[in-house]
Amino acid sequence: MPKIISTHSFRGGTGKSNTTANLAVLVARAGYRVGIIDTDIQSPGIHVLFRFGEEKFKKSLNDYLWGKCPIEAAAHDVTASAIGDITEGSERPRLFLIPSSLKTGEIARILREGYDVALLNDGFQDLLKRLNLDFLFIDTHPGVNEETLLSIASSDLLILIVRPDQQDFQGTAVTVELARKLEVPEMFLILNKVPPGTDHAALKEQVEGMYKAEVAALLPLSTEMARMASGDIFSKRFPTHPLS
Amino acid sequence: MTTTSNDADLDLLVGRMKAAAAPLREVLREIHARFSSHSDGKIADYIPELAKANRDWFGISIVTADGQVFEVGDCKQVFTIQSISKPFVYGMALEDHGLEHVLSKVGVEPTGEAFNAIVLDEASNRPFNPMVNAGAIATADLVKGKDFPERVTRLLSMFSKYCGRDVYIDNSVFMSERMTGHRNRAIGHLMLNFGMVGKEIEESLELYFQQCSVLVSSHDLAMMGATLANGGVNPITGQRAIEQRYVKYLLSIMLSCGMYDYAGEWAYRVGIPSKSGVGGGIVGVIPGQFGIGIFSPPLDAKGNSVRGILTCRELSERFGLHAFESGYTGQRLSDLLTPARRN
Repeated sequence: MPKIISTHSFRGGTGKSNTTANLAVLVARAGYRVGIIDTDIQSPGIHVLFRFGEEKFKKSLNDYLWGKCPIEAAAHDVTASAIGDITEGSERPRLFLIPSSLKTGEIARILREGYDVALLNDGFQDLLKRLNLDFLFIDTHPGVNEETLLSIASSDLLILIVRPDQQDFQGTAVTVELARKLEVPEMFLILNKVPPGTDHAALKEQVEGMYKAEVAALLPLSTEMARMASGDIFSKRFPTHPLS
Repeated sequence: MTTTSNDADLDLLVGRMKAAAAPLREVLREIHARFSSHSDGKIADYIPELAKANRDWFGISIVTADGQVFEVGDCKQVFTIQSISKPFVYGMALEDHGLEHVLSKVGVEPTGEAFNAIVLDEASNRPFNPMVNAGAIATADLVKGKDFPERVTRLLSMFSKYCGRDVYIDNSVFMSERMTGHRNRAIGHLMLNFGMVGKEIEESLELYFQQCSVLVSSHDLAMMGATLANGGVNPITGQRAIEQRYVKYLLSIMLSCGMYDYAGEWAYRVGIPSKSGVGGGIVGVIPGQFGIGIFSPPLDAKGNSVRGILTCRELSERFGLHAFESGYTGQRLSDLLTPARRN
């Protein structure tokens, strides 16, 4: 059965979009049909990692939410640019990106008018079915809002990205509590931007004790990743780097 | 704000998100998409206001007896409640006068006659049941109040408790109904002649035209149904709309007489206590479980919403909702209320 995976962080700048994009590429490369949807309508960004400028996308999530098109019309096949050498027309791997609009007027309109968040779940379900996806990754807006909660409610797996920082720790407790109320079946944490010299085992134990949830990975503060400044997908540029 | 109300807000929000992600929503979307293409039926046009309805409007709402809401389509579009008002006003008459007195004025026997037939029980002079116009007018006559404005206020307040919001009357529909309601006036005066209604029959007719002109949506109908399914208490506001002991009488009448002269086949095939109106609405009740509200204006020859009937039949057959279902082993609606776990 297809799976929906949400990545979330309570605060911005945790590396959420980067992690989501890299995970999606790695999963696709393993031979799956994968979608990434940017539900961060207020501050979209994940398309940048795919070097996918607004001039390239004709339709976005916004158009779907306004009833202008079915959701799959806003899905853009980025397999060639994100994964590279693939057989023409092959079923797998495939990677689709569903971006949010970058047009100021369109962001303003959705903030002003709002929308029925239930439409988002309809969109997730339609994407799974109509694009025959194995995995759908949802990149959410930081903090707690309706689309975040809906994404968590719709998900099979929630990945929480946390930096080893007190503000992140406190905020994440809120998200964990909400996720438990929403009965998400699986949840784990990724500790990102861990400073050099940190005792990984001790940090892992501390965080797991705090949230009663597994820490699946600790990612060091990576200068190589930072230097790319979101210009590309790390796991594509450095497929053999130990982080990948 | 107190902690308790914060917790209630959080529970409401979490409930709304879980409902939006639940498989029941996918089921309703699929049913909605399938029956949207059905273009049969004719929009009621005996008054011009009803003829203005859009034949594509189609909303399906389900509210659980504990207040979870599942809905798709045009579920916020308002329309006039029309005959769906009848069982609810009947409930008011029961509260105002008790069972025996109401039974002495209005019977509970199904009739194969059309809803607007001018026919009374020859032995007792009573209208056959409160769902035909004669019975509904006699029922409206039983609504208490020191004067006409108070009777109208009580009526609207009753509907507001069921809906969990203030309700209003569509004035142009009301005016048209009373201008063209000659047949209903004739029925009223025939009953006055037999001494079955009081001298304020003109006022009671006005009240009847008002009750038919109350504006509701499919969401409201589902909430009204859920209130009955919940023993008379609106599951969202916690307000009581009708005494618990009378709920079963409303539902019995709806099951036997609720769907005009299709009522017999309805009870047989669908088995859900329901009431339809010429505005295109249908309310259905699964006691202890769900209220169902459907809105789609095109009507069949008997005056029931075509898409409404199709939807109720589909829900009843697919999820074993027939009142007399027993030993049912198939999928239940109650299995689809929380997000699916795809493993």
